[in-house]
Amino acid sequence: MDYSERERISHVARRLGFGVEPEIVEGAADVDEAISMALDLSTPTPPPEPVAPSDMGEARSPEQREAPYRYWFTQLVGGPRRIEERLTWFWHDHFATGIQKVKVPYLMFVQHATIRKLATGSFADLLGAIAIDPAMLIYLDGVQNAVDRINENFGREVMELFTLGRGNYTEADVVAASRAFSGWVVPRAGPRAQRRGLTPWEATFVPTRHDGGTKTLLGVTGDLDAQGAIDVILDQPQTAVFVSAKLYRELVGTYPDLDTNERIAATFRRDWSIMALVEEIAAHPAFVSDEAIRAKVRTPLERAVGVAQSLEADAPALGRGIFQALRAVQFVPFAPPNVAGFPKGSRLLGPYQLVHGFDLTMALPERLPDLAAAEIAARLGIFDLTDRTRSVIDAATDPFVRTALTINAPEYFVT
Amino acid sequence: MTEHMNPETPPAETPDGACPAISRRRFIAALGASVATVAVGAYGISVWGKDPGATTTTTSGGLQVSATVPPPGALGPATGRTLVVIEMGGGNDGLNTVVPFSSSHYHDLRGDLAIDEPLDLDGEIGLHPALTFLAERYGTGEVAIVEGIGYPDPDLSHFASMAVWWSGLPGSVGATGWLGRYLDGTVGTEDPLAGVTIGPGPTPALLGERAFQVSVQDMSGLAPRVPGWIDDTDELMAMWSGFAPSDFDGAVLLDDVRAAIGTTVDAAAQLNAVLDGPPADDENTTGRRRRSDLGTSMEVAAALVTGPNPPRVVYVHGWGDFDTHEGQAARHQDMMEALDEALREFFTAVEDAGAEDRVLVMTTSEFGRRPAFNGSGTDHGTAGAHFLVGAPVAGGRYGEPPSLTDLDRRGNMVHTVDYRSVFASVLTGWFDADAASIFGTDLETLPLLG
Repeated sequence: MDYSERERISHVARRLGFGVEPEIVEGAADVDEAISMALDLSTPTPPPEPVAPSDMGEARSPEQREAPYRYWFTQLVGGPRRIEERLTWFWHDHFATGIQKVKVPYLMFVQHATIRKLATGSFADLLGAIAIDPAMLIYLDGVQNAVDRINENFGREVMELFTLGRGNYTEADVVAASRAFSGWVVPRAGPRAQRRGLTPWEATFVPTRHDGGTKTLLGVTGDLDAQGAIDVILDQPQTAVFVSAKLYRELVGTYPDLDTNERIAATFRRDWSIMALVEEIAAHPAFVSDEAIRAKVRTPLERAVGVAQSLEADAPALGRGIFQALRAVQFVPFAPPNVAGFPKGSRLLGPYQLVHGFDLTMALPERLPDLAAAEIAARLGIFDLTDRTRSVIDAATDPFVRTALTINAPEYFVT
Repeated sequence: MTEHMNPETPPAETPDGACPAISRRRFIAALGASVATVAVGAYGISVWGKDPGATTTTTSGGLQVSATVPPPGALGPATGRTLVVIEMGGGNDGLNTVVPFSSSHYHDLRGDLAIDEPLDLDGEIGLHPALTFLAERYGTGEVAIVEGIGYPDPDLSHFASMAVWWSGLPGSVGATGWLGRYLDGTVGTEDPLAGVTIGPGPTPALLGERAFQVSVQDMSGLAPRVPGWIDDTDELMAMWSGFAPSDFDGAVLLDDVRAAIGTTVDAAAQLNAVLDGPPADDENTTGRRRRSDLGTSMEVAAALVTGPNPPRVVYVHGWGDFDTHEGQAARHQDMMEALDEALREFFTAVEDAGAEDRVLVMTTSEFGRRPAFNGSGTDHGTAGAHFLVGAPVAGGRYGEPPSLTDLDRRGNMVHTVDYRSVFASVLTGWFDADAASIFGTDLETLPLLG
């Protein structure tokens, strides 16, 4: 394949950033500059400011429900740290937690703030924080997990999905981990919490609910608690292998070969620096190779953010059109379909998902500039447009229809 | 990729989850230009090739598996019959669905969660009190109950168990689903609506090497929601179909997308002719779509099976949350009510259309739940009981109720019926299909169909 330098820059910007990244695509002279622009952390992101609701009624008010989306969408579209957007999304998908079960948007916002703060920091810190994150405690039944009734939901998923992968622990390890994680609750705002002197919405350790007995987890015996269990899991070499391979795939689009995986895992394990891992992956020749370009299916969220960045759609404050388009294809942040996260790959290419790709047009203004296919595509960061795509789009006389076809062209369904 | 790395997470361009398939590019690289038939990823679309009997290779977790995909018609004849599968995702509590109420062990284990007054079927077992339609139809011989369904060496993970159920291949990672393989070897690519999923998206159970799978959510079928000033959606779709390939190349992901667009346009036209089609209002319909529930899904299923070109397989999923670790009593009650009501309405529509002799419904779930009450709900279990419903069914009880005293080391029941035996019984009894080829082994069958 013979991709242009502009197409390669665009590829780098999309994979390390989020959406179509017009500023990087227009500003970077070459691939290396695009990488450094995307990885630049010098400007702080405006901090998320979740406001704790005073009771359950307020917890589900429209303001509470919209606040986390408003904040996140604004950053996805135009936040100053592009790699932070990529990684915040990646970790949300990795540590999938859904509002469907958590039910309190404020807690999703708090989790988002935690993930964002640590997304470019230490994976060890991130994993430790997630283990006692209030939304996660609710989502994977940590709040039900007590000494006399051990609930295995989090204890299993923390190893299966978050760190080790299946086949790298036993059922006995699931029980041991679950016992170690027992004892945490999340008090809801209300008279009950007040009476008992508990701070609402905060993860709270209740010693009488914790199983303080001796456990053997992954070969380590002791009276492990939550942090103890996390430490044991982090000590398993497989954790770095598993997580680094997943991040490699997120950025490159394919899995690393064995040697590469071992190498990046060794970097990762050294001090769990997520940015060190990102930098190593970005510097790997595979990252900008022909095999990596257009090798992933573009997610509905990436398509939507790209449209918002480039076509004056109604995005920064979470426009209705964009939100509804995401809802139609069940790709709404804070609402992954299950604990395994959001659908990926060809699962995004079913007839239903493709047809509703057009729903994004609901976010566009009625009057659009009268541009040819190549110009619209360039705004969307697509430079190497195939002749077939170009001719189909240019055959439409209406500028709006040309745009609608461009954002539903094969080139905009891959990344 | 090696085993130690991550056998569960599939290679690039397949979704996370339980059905790994080879990455498209590696697949092409491995097989060269002679490949004619390929699977795209683990879910969703398949694309067609020129040679209907091609050999394919799939890779997952370091395993190389070669299989010959039989040509259309090889694994079973056209029958004019439909199988409707209702998946109860999350792990339905078989013990509180088909209740062994006469057992004191049941009451001891379940405590407050025990159902004291089920709909008594034979003095030994009874149905959950919400299942009145199923109890009536059991009485008229149109419900088969299979007890003790499970698989060997059960894995209590949802995703692992779902993979086992979807693929029909316990102990190995399947790249295709059991129903996808059935469609591959019968319908092939002749009919893009032979396999229809109703729910939030495609199911791995229907993933084949070549057979199509179309998914819809509700009666609106397949149509985009676009602003009012685009006055002709059909014309927009027609222009969009220009992206579809006239000739399939399949070298890169971009080609898969083109093929998917072509399938989509065809499928939408056919589906919309049977269903209501898109809402005909000129108001924008933003926000109206809701998460699929079983009633809506079964309404779509009834329209499809009573339409002019009924699918072979309709797969209904994505409703309810059967993972009742907590708050089970009320949640399970709601889902049992939904199931019973949806079945009643479905069969009313099917019988009104005189289609009852060509429709079979079966339920599935990745596992049952643990016999012991956890104080709020029940944890992941193993064996479960399932239903086959419809006029063609030989009603009655099948299988064997699992022991409630001889539990495994995790306190779960030991299954008595291999889940693939139930699948094989349906494939042979209902579709006259070659189940041994579909599962790669001969399986005992149960005489579930009259």
